[in-house]
Amino acid sequence: MTRKPWTSHTEESRSPEEVLAILKENLQSGLEAFELRPKKETGREEQPLIHDIWLTVRKDAFLSLVDELFLFDFPHFHVLSTDDSGDHILFVYHFSLFRCAGRGEHLGVNVRVRIPKEDLIMPSLWERIPGVEYSEREAKEALGVAFQGLPNQSLLLLPENWDTSIKPMRRDETGPREEHIRHLS
Amino acid sequence: MAQGKTTYRVPIGPVHVGLKEPITAWLDVDGERIVQATIRPGAIHRGIEFMARDRNPIQVIYLAERVCGICSFSHITCFVRAVEDAAKIPVPRRAQYIRSLLLELERVHSHILWAGVACYTIGYDSAFHLGMQLREKVMDVLEALTGNRVNYGVGTVGGVRRDITPEVARAIRDMLDYYRNNIATFTDVVFDDPVALARMRHVGPLSPQEAMRYCALGPTARGSGLRIDLRWSAPYEAYGELDVTPIVPQDYLGKSHGDVYDRFFVRATEIHQSLDLIERCLDGLPSGELMWEPKLPKLLNYLKQADGEGIGFVEAPRGDDTHAIRLTKGAENITWWKVRAPTYSNAISWPLMFRDQELADAPLILNSVDPCISCMERVLVTDRAAEREEVLVKQDLIERCREKTRRLMRQ
Repeated sequence: MTRKPWTSHTEESRSPEEVLAILKENLQSGLEAFELRPKKETGREEQPLIHDIWLTVRKDAFLSLVDELFLFDFPHFHVLSTDDSGDHILFVYHFSLFRCAGRGEHLGVNVRVRIPKEDLIMPSLWERIPGVEYSEREAKEALGVAFQGLPNQSLLLLPENWDTSIKPMRRDETGPREEHIRHLS
Repeated sequence: MAQGKTTYRVPIGPVHVGLKEPITAWLDVDGERIVQATIRPGAIHRGIEFMARDRNPIQVIYLAERVCGICSFSHITCFVRAVEDAAKIPVPRRAQYIRSLLLELERVHSHILWAGVACYTIGYDSAFHLGMQLREKVMDVLEALTGNRVNYGVGTVGGVRRDITPEVARAIRDMLDYYRNNIATFTDVVFDDPVALARMRHVGPLSPQEAMRYCALGPTARGSGLRIDLRWSAPYEAYGELDVTPIVPQDYLGKSHGDVYDRFFVRATEIHQSLDLIERCLDGLPSGELMWEPKLPKLLNYLKQADGEGIGFVEAPRGDDTHAIRLTKGAENITWWKVRAPTYSNAISWPLMFRDQELADAPLILNSVDPCISCMERVLVTDRAAEREEVLVKQDLIERCREKTRRLMRQ
């Protein structure tokens, strides 16, 4: 399916169940896990106004998933959560759909991708969503993941004299050693 | 370098008193016109997410609060919402209302402070001092309610720690009367002034398409005409019962230009909206518990057994704040935590706003997204042709900004 270049947010939302059903149908085995999570707040258990979808997608199906999201609305990108989970790096991309569609229509889409440490390369989303720039630069310097297609790869939060072989958020041998940590208490 | 012309590279930063925290902006200028801008954050990176790995969720509340001074309660609320999402903890209705009320008080405080600082940047000192005086009232109310003027410490997982007593309610209503009588004086002083209009109109524009693609948030995006507001599209806490509509300039002024004036307008109008919301929260405050689990050891034990990922979104004064967290069963400390303060996303749009603008407008443009991570003090101007360097301190940069205002007043 050709990706439409979005010029404005959509004002027509779809229900979370519909979105999930279409994603499941189009991604098939690329989608490893999915969860629809309506937020049951006190006093609004029967009619929740906040919905989130949590998906786990295979790394090679990730770009297809993002292109699928463009079919519904311009996916607003919040942040990229990261963790060093032992033999792989976990990325959780947090998107939002239907921000302009109306009261209670916002749908959060949270996408987990596991990246094996032997192959720490991800495609950059920068061409599609320029707003990912800071998150990808931070993930690169903190965890050592390479992003193909990200134009500005300079350091974001670390100082210029940082030894870039040390990845601050890694828990293995590339992470900070005891001499790099200052214990304040 | 643009087509054979010599451009000078002007670094602004990392410390400047015009804004609140350190950041460096490299501006390529051709005469007075800015050709390109590169932003380099990182001067105030404290490694908070790294620190959180050794702390349990209750301890991390106090780390989360210190991410920012002026939207500290937004960060607490966002963080505890993420934990409540991961651990499936419900929040009593009274606590939801108190949280919403505090969030709106914080918004009033933040917007008045910002408006004052924006007036100071363009040389409107009387408006600046008026703004600072007005701000004292809301800080007094916050102190009455929480005990502190910033960094309140009243949020907890599953509720809030302070109640609204009748004395505090009376103080809030007095504040509402005071602001309704006095805010218009302050905002009209800006909106009715032709020089202020000339300084802010068509300065630092951001088109709605760019705002969308570069993921701009809050008043920065609303000023460009995007109808987004999490209190409307994903009503959290008490906003499910409060009707909030996003304030966009085209609804009031007919058209939105996406410039500094529109962002000022959005924030000033939001102050009035917040005052109404505070009143409705007070009037509709339900009775009931303040916390899901008041005993801390029981709460910590429950959180230790919780397992899952959670996410929290809150519409902070600068845009939507996002916290994501992972709790693992059996582990007392959190597994991972990601904070995305709104300025993290808004800062990506700065280079777009700087295009073809004047150097004298640089502090105003930087200020217009209400940055929570930047402060500018020194400008090093290098004149490569003459091979000399000149250091301009904050005074010089602000003076350039104000000189432009004086020039416009003379015309």
